[in-house]
Amino acid sequence: MTLLRLELSKTLNQKRTYIGWVGLVLVPVIVVAAGSLQKPRPQAPGEPPFVAHVSQNGLLVMLSVLIALAAFLLPIIAAMGGASSVASEAETGTLKTWLTRPVSRAAVLLTKWAMAVLYALAGAALVAVVSLIAGVLAFGLHPLVTLSGTTMGVQQALALIGLAYLLVVAGAVCSLSIAFFISTLTDSSLTAATIAIAVFTVLTILNAFSVFDFMKPYTYSTYRLAFLNLFRFPIYWPPIRQALVNYGVTTALLLLAAWAVFSRKDILT
Amino acid sequence: MADHKQPPASTPPGVCRGRLAEESAGGADSPAPRACDDRPVVLSTHGLTKRFGKLVAVDHLDLAVCRGDVFGFLGPNGAGKTTTIRMIFGLIFPTSGYAEVAGHRVPGERVAALRHLGGFVEVPAFYPNMSARRNLRLIGSAGGDASEGRITEVLDTVGLLTRGDSRVGGYSHGMKQRLGIANALLNSPDVIILDEPTSGLDPQGMKDVRELVRELGKVGTTVFLSSHLLHEIEQVCNRAVIINRGRTVVEGPVATLRPRDEAVKVMTGDQQKAFETARALFGAQGVSWDEGYLVVRAGDEGVPELVRRLVADGVAVRAVVPAVEQGLEEFFLGLTQSSDADGGRGEPAGRRARQPCAAWAASSSRSSFNGAPTSAGRVCWPCRC
Ligand SMILES: Nc1ncnc2c1ncn2[C@@H]1O[C@H](COP(=O)(O)OP(=O)(O)OP(=O)(O)O)[C@@H](O)[C@H]1O
Ligand SMILES: [Mg+2]
Repeated sequence: MTLLRLELSKTLNQKRTYIGWVGLVLVPVIVVAAGSLQKPRPQAPGEPPFVAHVSQNGLLVMLSVLIALAAFLLPIIAAMGGASSVASEAETGTLKTWLTRPVSRAAVLLTKWAMAVLYALAGAALVAVVSLIAGVLAFGLHPLVTLSGTTMGVQQALALIGLAYLLVVAGAVCSLSIAFFISTLTDSSLTAATIAIAVFTVLTILNAFSVFDFMKPYTYSTYRLAFLNLFRFPIYWPPIRQALVNYGVTTALLLLAAWAVFSRKDILT
Repeated sequence: MADHKQPPASTPPGVCRGRLAEESAGGADSPAPRACDDRPVVLSTHGLTKRFGKLVAVDHLDLAVCRGDVFGFLGPNGAGKTTTIRMIFGLIFPTSGYAEVAGHRVPGERVAALRHLGGFVEVPAFYPNMSARRNLRLIGSAGGDASEGRITEVLDTVGLLTRGDSRVGGYSHGMKQRLGIANALLNSPDVIILDEPTSGLDPQGMKDVRELVRELGKVGTTVFLSSHLLHEIEQVCNRAVIINRGRTVVEGPVATLRPRDEAVKVMTGDQQKAFETARALFGAQGVSWDEGYLVVRAGDEGVPELVRRLVADGVAVRAVVPAVEQGLEEFFLGLTQSSDADGGRGEPAGRRARQPCAAWAASSSRSSFNGAPTSAGRVCWPCRC
């Protein structure tokens, strides 16, 4: 716990922490601006839901932003966070400084991972709050029309949107864990982030082709829009459950792999 | 030193009983070399070996540092100093063997061992965007306490108190080096390991750091100091080991590390008569001429005896001055080069070591080195076998 506190204090002292967050916060601002400019129109074929109607309800800003986050932004930001945790410290030599302290390697590794998760979580929370405020100011707060055409109250909608944000963060943790695992292999945080983002992109592309359908249940990228099922009536749970199981297994395997590497790694830089 | 390490009967006592690789070939289970009399060994390595592919960076290294030692760890570039220190800190894993700090093995009980250890490897690294104080607070709090009072104290010790609140990114190399020492001291560890702390410092910086290390030694802190400067080690350390290519070349109290200037130049009223006297005392090999001076290898104890005899023989002694035979750095170079010549890099461990060194010892009837047994009953000289 002390370690996590130290890690937090360190992270909050770094400029790039805020750069990532500022980038995220720009998304709701852009969505609100675009929503104000566009006239209400029917949902285009292939377009994700909610986006077309964003100017009708502040809550839809939260959901539109979440779709953008889930599709690419949060995985990228999270991957950068995960990549920087071990490799960037190896780059600057501070990893060596930490490991000359009487703390176990397992604690160091887990703390760094937890910090990266915390970072992604904080980023998502920040975006949620900014989206809510901007959305409500611009378009007001109205009951939400679900994907099934029913209407749900603002309170219930907010609770479900909160849940949806958590689910998207959980998905991003997979990207983060890939970056994290690679960052134990290489001393370059850029390499780690690039590989993690590449993996996510390639998986997303593969998911789009039906020939690769056989691997769909196993790739975490399959589930990136699973949260939309929360907004059906009644809520359709199976894909959400599958998503959670997939995220859990993916993350656990990656963490184990990271530990396997890091516990025996020669820290030379 | 365990019984089995007593010199073989064929080896003249006190000569060439250096702990060469063959004696440590026992590997991981060889007992800690005992060189401390009644002081406990706080830091030791046991058959410590590290290979990088084919290259053997550290080769069955056995070291023993006693509580209160300021221990010099000397070697030329690439000798394996940093690699050894990394293994002691548990940063890298030995190929075989282990290190032990205050009774805790590394890598096995790394965390327990690190509680007794402070220091840095190569260049100390900190967060450049934070102040020195903040860095110390951050790093010192991991697995220890770092009170503000203590931070102020160590910053003061290394002369950084006035700059403690500025960003480390703006520090000069020397200031970072000092901050590294401050960080090493922060949790008051039993043993402090400093990897070439004076490298890249200006003369004043070097002097300050050496002064500091000496002070640490005076208050009983054990310091393990790596360096490639023999005179630096001589200034601050009480014991030292010289390594080359990952192996021990020479080890012992610093005073005995290099040959004493045991030869003296003598000027008398009657040089011919003095020559006879000296030859009678020290044999033909011990006496030679140098620009009218008589050069006598009398040894430390021999000089008073020589002067007494000359005076008794009625020879007027005008001057007895030390004959400087060999510079410090030349000695060091000679040592490391002779061990270079012995074994090619990457040669299988122990080959050189298997050769007997008694031959060399026996053939050199006069030891040009000070071969007196140390307090530990063990002197290790380079064996040119
Ligand atoms: N990561 C590595 N990979 C391969 N070889 C290495 C590695 N680290 C060190 N070596 C080799 O091991 C040997 C010992 O290196 P080490 O850094 O321990 O020397 P050193 O005594 O600290 O030298 P210096 O005085 O230059 O600091 C060298 O030959 C070096 O090339
Ligand atoms: Mg070095």
